[in-house]
Amino acid sequence: MRRTRPHRRAAALAVAAAVPLLGGCGIQESDVIEAGGPATVEAFYNRSEEVILFFRTPDGRLNPVIRTVGSSPGFGDEYTEPGPAGTIGPPTTEKAIAELLTGPRPKDRAAGLTTALPPTRPGATIKIDPTSGSTVTTHLPFPLKDLNTTALRQLTCTIAYSKDPGGRLTVKLTGQDGGSHSDTCGLPSGTPG
Amino acid sequence: MIPLPRRGRNTEPAEGRRTGPEERSRVRAFGLRTRLLAAFLLVAAVSAGTTSALTYREARNALLKTAQDTAVSTFREQVQQTGFGLPVQEEGMEEVLRDLARKGKPRPWVVFAEYGSVRASSGENPVSTVITPGLRRAALANPYGSFERVVKDGVLYLTIAMPTVFRTGPYDTLPSGLVLYAVMRMTDEQINVDALLTAARDGALPGLAVALVPGLIAARSVLRPVRELRRAARSMGSGRLDTRIAVRGNDELADLADTFNESAAQLEDSVHELREAEARARRFASDVSHELRTPLAGMLAVTEVLDEDADHLDSDTARAVRLVSAETGKLAVLVEDLMEISRFDARAAELNADEVDVAETIRKTLQNRHWTEDDRVHAELPTGIRARLDPRRFDVVIANLVGNALRHGGAPVTVRLRTGERPTGTPVLITEVADRGPGIHPDSIPYIFDRFYKADAARTRSAGSGLGLAITQENVRLHGGTIRAGNLPEGGAVFTVEIPLHAEEATA
Repeated sequence: MRRTRPHRRAAALAVAAAVPLLGGCGIQESDVIEAGGPATVEAFYNRSEEVILFFRTPDGRLNPVIRTVGSSPGFGDEYTEPGPAGTIGPPTTEKAIAELLTGPRPKDRAAGLTTALPPTRPGATIKIDPTSGSTVTTHLPFPLKDLNTTALRQLTCTIAYSKDPGGRLTVKLTGQDGGSHSDTCGLPSGTPG
Repeated sequence: MIPLPRRGRNTEPAEGRRTGPEERSRVRAFGLRTRLLAAFLLVAAVSAGTTSALTYREARNALLKTAQDTAVSTFREQVQQTGFGLPVQEEGMEEVLRDLARKGKPRPWVVFAEYGSVRASSGENPVSTVITPGLRRAALANPYGSFERVVKDGVLYLTIAMPTVFRTGPYDTLPSGLVLYAVMRMTDEQINVDALLTAARDGALPGLAVALVPGLIAARSVLRPVRELRRAARSMGSGRLDTRIAVRGNDELADLADTFNESAAQLEDSVHELREAEARARRFASDVSHELRTPLAGMLAVTEVLDEDADHLDSDTARAVRLVSAETGKLAVLVEDLMEISRFDARAAELNADEVDVAETIRKTLQNRHWTEDDRVHAELPTGIRARLDPRRFDVVIANLVGNALRHGGAPVTVRLRTGERPTGTPVLITEVADRGPGIHPDSIPYIFDRFYKADAARTRSAGSGLGLAITQENVRLHGGTIRAGNLPEGGAVFTVEIPLHAEEATA
């Protein structure tokens, strides 16, 4: 008995020495590790002529696309008049919503983008109430109850980014049926580094 | 008598016998040397191992961190120099990616792009098999660059996910939905880290070898004094009481050596004193005997005259005179015996050995004592046995034993002579003196040859001096023989004397 005790102690020491030696040989796999911010790329977005529309990706997320307002034929043209003050301002929210409602173009479809919004008759009136504070109220020419979450978010984000470059606005949607929905876009926005 | 270690005696066989353990100790499994070395090696292994392991880990982590951070920031910078229209279009994408891949620093990487259903890459497959779903999820959930080390088919890859954002205003950005991935082999890093590992291991092993040297030195510094101490202790045990150890240094072992030396000196002093006291006592006994001899001789002469005239004295006076005469005779015997034993003690007794016919010698002894005239003593003496004996001393032996048997045992006393062999093969002369008396009490047998030992405590006065058996034993020893006392199974005591037939060989 007297002899085994130092041996046991020695074994424990050897194990203690061996653990750090054996525990980290070579390079192991790692978890996903965050390393700095995203890359800011040039998307050639011109706020005075273009609007950001949000369409649905195959995996159910929203991707922004940039669309030049006015280049579209048809009913879009009548909205390219100068702003109330007579100066050339950014495209109005009504135009952005109208563009969103026309749905993805072939280029968008090629990238797998779709819309969750129902097809709309051309010429339907979209009315925006004058902005009060950080809330913008939009009256839509169709009932809200037919829209799913993705469709509501498409509308919310498109409206928010047309009014504010950061999209930090609360958007209230009211439909023909009198239903209403109030939300923020909630996409992660940031300041360029 | 104090059993003293005798100088120079029995040392050779003792030394020869004890070389065994000394050799065994050199290969002892858990000896002091082994344990000390093991402890040194263990400490060295733990420290070298821990140091190497920690250094290696730190270096590896630093190396990886540098490589990863460089790769991630380079990739981000390169991606930031590109532009994409939204929605991202598949055509033209591959050229952009190949351009990115070419600019990969420090090593080329494969760049993948994922947007909506668009999948493009700078390599052959549009979709990477290395990128994990976890990395994709992280890149899409948070607009942060992220990386992951992945081992696939034994190859280590660094996969970087770089989500892209674009400016929506001077101060605002929006995730574009386009995520670029870079996949890079970490071969160089792996080689470097392997080199680090080899270096750590190769550094630790020589460290262990180097630790062996101080271990051996330390073991030696401990073992040498211990070995010296053992040698000295053995030397003391074999009688060399003047053995001392050289005291080196000032440590515990030096203290031990010091203590050993002190103890040895004290022991030597004590033994010296005892020897002197014993020598004085022997000298005293010898001197007393000598001094008593002369007056006793006179007294013996006077008592002889008185004895002759006792018949003419009145009965009371005659009895007194005879008593005085008898006691004076006993005293004379006692003094003679004392002087004899003093000579043995002083080692002054000499053996005057001669080749004799043993049967003849014994017969002469019995005749001289007038023991053969009646049936009290019966002798069985085969003729033709010759041995080298001191006739005078052998006569004393036989006479003492027979006289003792007649006095304390019972007639008839039998003297038997034969030859035999010791277990060692030495031929011996065996003389047995047996009586038909009550035998010796078993408790007395161990002390029967002691001086003045009285087997029967009640019988304080006996005809003998009390030294007869002691002198007998000394005489037998002088012949190189042994004497034993015992009892016969059929009753009666028996004394067996064994003397080598060729006394010179035994005493040589």
